[in-house]
Amino acid sequence: MALEFDRSLIGQVFDETSFPPVTKEEILEFAAALGEKNPLYTDEAQAAQGPYGGLVAPPTLVTKLRAKKFTPEHLPKFGKVGFDGGRDLEIHAPIRPGDVLTMVSTIHDIYEKTGRTGSMYFIVIRNEVTNQKGEKVAVIDHRIMQR
Amino acid sequence: MSTLYFEDIEEGDELPPIDLFLSKDQVRQYARTAGMYFPRFTDDEGARAEGLPSMIAPGVMSMGLLARMISDWNQAAAIKRIGTTFRSPVLPDRNVHLRGAVTQKIEADHTAECDIWLENDDGERWVIGTATVALPTKA
Amino acid sequence: MAHILDLHLHSEASDDSRAPVEAYLKWLARKRDERPLEGLVLTEHRQFNKAGDYRDLEDKYGLLILKASEVETDYGHMLVYGVNDDIIGRFDFKNVRLSAQEVITEVARLGGIAMPCHPGRPTIGLIEHYQKKPPLEGVVGVEALNGGSKKGENERVAGLVQAYGYHAFGGSDSHLVSFVGLCATAFDRDIKTVEDLVDALRAGGYRPLDFRVQRPQPPIAPEVPTHGSGI
Repeated sequence: MALEFDRSLIGQVFDETSFPPVTKEEILEFAAALGEKNPLYTDEAQAAQGPYGGLVAPPTLVTKLRAKKFTPEHLPKFGKVGFDGGRDLEIHAPIRPGDVLTMVSTIHDIYEKTGRTGSMYFIVIRNEVTNQKGEKVAVIDHRIMQR
Repeated sequence: MSTLYFEDIEEGDELPPIDLFLSKDQVRQYARTAGMYFPRFTDDEGARAEGLPSMIAPGVMSMGLLARMISDWNQAAAIKRIGTTFRSPVLPDRNVHLRGAVTQKIEADHTAECDIWLENDDGERWVIGTATVALPTKA
Repeated sequence: MAHILDLHLHSEASDDSRAPVEAYLKWLARKRDERPLEGLVLTEHRQFNKAGDYRDLEDKYGLLILKASEVETDYGHMLVYGVNDDIIGRFDFKNVRLSAQEVITEVARLGGIAMPCHPGRPTIGLIEHYQKKPPLEGVVGVEALNGGSKKGENERVAGLVQAYGYHAFGGSDSHLVSFVGLCATAFDRDIKTVEDLVDALRAGGYRPLDFRVQRPQPPIAPEVPTHGSGI
């Protein structure tokens, strides 16, 4: 008994966005909100001596991109409410102040299982992030759970 | 902060845990910083309107805290991959315990696989996941 | 020979675990003093991992490895032991709304045994369904100790076991390498094959074992967030 939906949705790019440049302040604030103490993320002078030759963002900063609107509008609603079911992050290159990030989003998978709260529908959005140099920065698989 | 080399770690090593009282203000600060200032992450009433028992921490905040545990353990560990499953909403205003362990050392590319998880005082594991970290070598 | 087995865990063959079977075995070998297990039963979600061949790993680590499945029914999740071609042909394991009564009855008829897991869990546990629907026929035992449970979920099972005379077993429900064997089952008889396991589960003579260590939790002062440094 397979879940009923238009399978041609899978693999479709539904969004491509370029974001304003990442700022130093943004990186420092994000690191502080997590209590990061690693000078690579918190201290410009020390980070300059480190492996990246300057300040870089904590690896999960990339999850900020389009944090407000991450599901495509044309996708059928499988449940009443949506929750973040999980994330898988592949990190390819560090994010530095001044980077202009572009994210291309694809519907990667849709499936169903049952859990503590009943039937759960999972929509997996794959987000591929590159920087202004065309380098691959990260791939984020975002499992959105609807019930 | 310490620097650990590939040669310094062993399969079975536990990552130094972080025991944290997760305050509502800390969650709000994260939500503000991360562009996620929505009712479910900022106030109890807004969260209840969505059927939640009280305000919750964003899943990605738990993920970020688990990444921080890795960075506290070894500032030279570069996270290549981190994956987390948000099994239960993380409720602030109580203790959370971030824990982890090195489960596999991979000689070929000097990486280590780690289990990472967040549990409450009762040992309920609200967030579980794994991370692949690249480590410097002495050679 | 194996008397103590973890009857419920997921390897990388399941969609929500990345744990290689060998990493589980190495972890158990390392933790043998704390978790004296002699075997594992891999219960992959909504499938039977027919291709998985772990004989070399069994020899290398001296541990028994058996294969089973976790399926989803209208009375919650169930572990199916002794899966064979007849059972695979009879049920679509991917269907998340299998009829629990059919699974219990037909799996038994076709040579296996289906046992409800984490019965104390909301929605996907047996107890909640027993409060709304008639009890199932032919249930032999339930997973009374599950390593992934929240507070109260395991405790709730004692009443069920007593009321219906079910046998009780345990499993870690591990999705991470380091959780393997935290909950397990001790058998009176020696288990060497999946047929032995099915026979033993039908006959009784087993009980759950808890190897979890409760850490003392000290009071913690809130961390005061700082608003960035270096600027």
